[in-house]
Amino acid sequence: MDFIPLHDPIWQRLDGEDGPRPHPAPRPHALLSLEQWHAVRESWPADLPVGMVLPNTADVATVAADLPRWSLVALQFPKWTDGRAYSQARLLRGRHGYTGELRAVGDVLADMLPLLQRTGFSSVQLRADQSIASARRALRFFTGHYQGDVTQPQPLFKRQAA
Amino acid sequence: MYRYTDFDRHFVRARAAQFRDQLQRHLAGELADEDFRPLRLQNGWYVQRHAPMLRVAVPYGELSSRQLRMLARIAREHDHRDAGLPTERGGFGHFSTRQNLQFNWIPLTEAADVMDKLADVDLHGIQTSGNCIRNITTDALAGIAPDEDVDPRPYAEILRQWSTLHPEFAFLPRKFKIAIHGAREDRAAIGWHDIGLQLHRNGAGEVGFRVWVGGGMGRTPVIGTKLADFVPWQLILVYIEAIVRVYNLHGRRDNAYKARIKILVKAEGQRFVDQVNAEFDALQHGDALSGAHVIPQAEFDRVAACFTPPPVLAPGFETADDTDAPLAYRRWLGRNVHMHKVPGYRAVTLSLKRAGLPPGDVTAAQMDGAAALAERFSRGELRVTHDQNLLLPWVQAAELRALWQAAQAGGFATPNIGLLTDMIACPGGDLCALANARSLPIAAAIQERFDDLDRLHDIGDIDLHISGCMNSCGHHHSGHIGILGVDKDGSEWYQVTVGGSDGSTLSGAATPGKVIGPSFAADEVPDVVEALIELYRRERRRGEPFIETARRLGPQAFRAAADAVRRSTALAGAE
Repeated sequence: MDFIPLHDPIWQRLDGEDGPRPHPAPRPHALLSLEQWHAVRESWPADLPVGMVLPNTADVATVAADLPRWSLVALQFPKWTDGRAYSQARLLRGRHGYTGELRAVGDVLADMLPLLQRTGFSSVQLRADQSIASARRALRFFTGHYQGDVTQPQPLFKRQAA
Repeated sequence: MYRYTDFDRHFVRARAAQFRDQLQRHLAGELADEDFRPLRLQNGWYVQRHAPMLRVAVPYGELSSRQLRMLARIAREHDHRDAGLPTERGGFGHFSTRQNLQFNWIPLTEAADVMDKLADVDLHGIQTSGNCIRNITTDALAGIAPDEDVDPRPYAEILRQWSTLHPEFAFLPRKFKIAIHGAREDRAAIGWHDIGLQLHRNGAGEVGFRVWVGGGMGRTPVIGTKLADFVPWQLILVYIEAIVRVYNLHGRRDNAYKARIKILVKAEGQRFVDQVNAEFDALQHGDALSGAHVIPQAEFDRVAACFTPPPVLAPGFETADDTDAPLAYRRWLGRNVHMHKVPGYRAVTLSLKRAGLPPGDVTAAQMDGAAALAERFSRGELRVTHDQNLLLPWVQAAELRALWQAAQAGGFATPNIGLLTDMIACPGGDLCALANARSLPIAAAIQERFDDLDRLHDIGDIDLHISGCMNSCGHHHSGHIGILGVDKDGSEWYQVTVGGSDGSTLSGAATPGKVIGPSFAADEVPDVVEALIELYRRERRRGEPFIETARRLGPQAFRAAADAVRRSTALAGAE
């Protein structure tokens, strides 16, 4: 799990004064909204790494065809107890074959780390008051789980049988 | 009973260690109240009116005497307070309608130690609260009822394991309750659950599930919609994953009162059904994780082997001649003893509905007493029933008389199972911070009013359910008579319903009761209950239980009877 500072030095949103610029000019490591992507997707150079911020209401099946072009997908937790992004992550990894960076952003707590990891997130931007040490510790309590997940697709009953 | 493996033991210990870490960070000021709250809830810790409440999971209601003795020890060593009314004192537990046990007086600073003690006997508080998949409930007669086609316990255990710390479904829009049974009679109120499961065999003798979805109580009572007639048992985890995923992605999160899956099912109708079926299909074809959660026969066999029946007894086991027995014993045989799947055995309910004690409450000494009865008479096993009693599942018929005497000595032999005083009640405003009104004084007043056994037996079978608020922990919607505490202008009032059903054979198809007029004052409630009962006694046909008379006469007749005994609310209404 990678811990990304709140001000990411690499991936940048392309915002103007009134929010996302409607037709951003291509640049590497741009982090776009879906609206921006739809405006530029035909003209965006294939070799420029591009990332996407998806709202947790997005149906990830509708973007499946574009996934190979994205290097980063950021899924949002507007409140940390809003668990929709866990399902989005599980579907992106398990059903739609997304292999790029999958990042949790928003109201992200250290205690969410086990869930994030198991549903396929590979990086997080913790909320400002959260400690990376607590987040790392949160990943160490359990050595195994009952049900399968993205990192360990086989549930306990299949692992035991093997 | 299910026997914990090393993995299972290690797992609950890991959970206890994780909780200790969270608690320490909270007590050190590193984890704020609002962030700690969802974490402690998923371990069973509420903060209530006086102290935290701990809800201990009793998976599908099965409890060993060893576990019950540990619960008694926790009650003695941690659940205590020196002042207050008798009903507010610690040192006791409360069995809930979801087959769990609650403590009311444990200081939060001792919480982590308590979780360690629970882990010592394979118990925990995982997912007994919070917006996640809760403890799975079942028929208290699971595995022993004569009318059972398929024993639900192995499936309940497999579901318990699958739902435990499921990474995708820990933060659903709202709580999520699954109930399961495998008998002809529904004794698990499955129509009232987010998912209701009935095991049955198809024409080829294969085992599968009928699945209902979107039942629930609360502010908007809804009976579940049937989603499938036969999901092969091997696919049930996949099918439930499909349901819960659709709910997690599409359930409302803007309004807690509209966040249960029942609202989504009602709003979306056929679209919801189509979405679940599409997701179920996608999970089986074209998903990298597909197939992983199809239950192998070997796993089913491993779990099912834990639920073996006792050896069949030698012929001549049923020797008891009860013709000369005292009336009290015959009444107990009639009400508290239930027929059994295995010849020579009976199931016996230990009544936790007795004068002077709130429904479902047990002191530490009584827990030890019930554990001793289980050890002597029931292979060390007990069940928690959804109507807040304990049940001994493996009693030899020849030992009934001895059990009766021992149960009497322990205060468990009140012959009132299924009768008016065998009421369901939540802890209410005395203990619960959510409640709008108190439940326990109402329950106590009704207990006192109907303490005559002859009269109770004459009234016969009836479900009286009392909730202190709309959250419906006391299942008021499904009571033949339901009482709901409501708050108006800061004082306590009680809304009364008639004709509700949990879905049992006696009660008929699950349905919410009908309100009989404006709320009553607290001191009117016993009179109202008595008026409803007296109307029934006047109007009943031969052999007709209350619920049938209630349906035949309709709510208007009961409303008139109740209105006739109004006092303060009659005056208020006349103004």
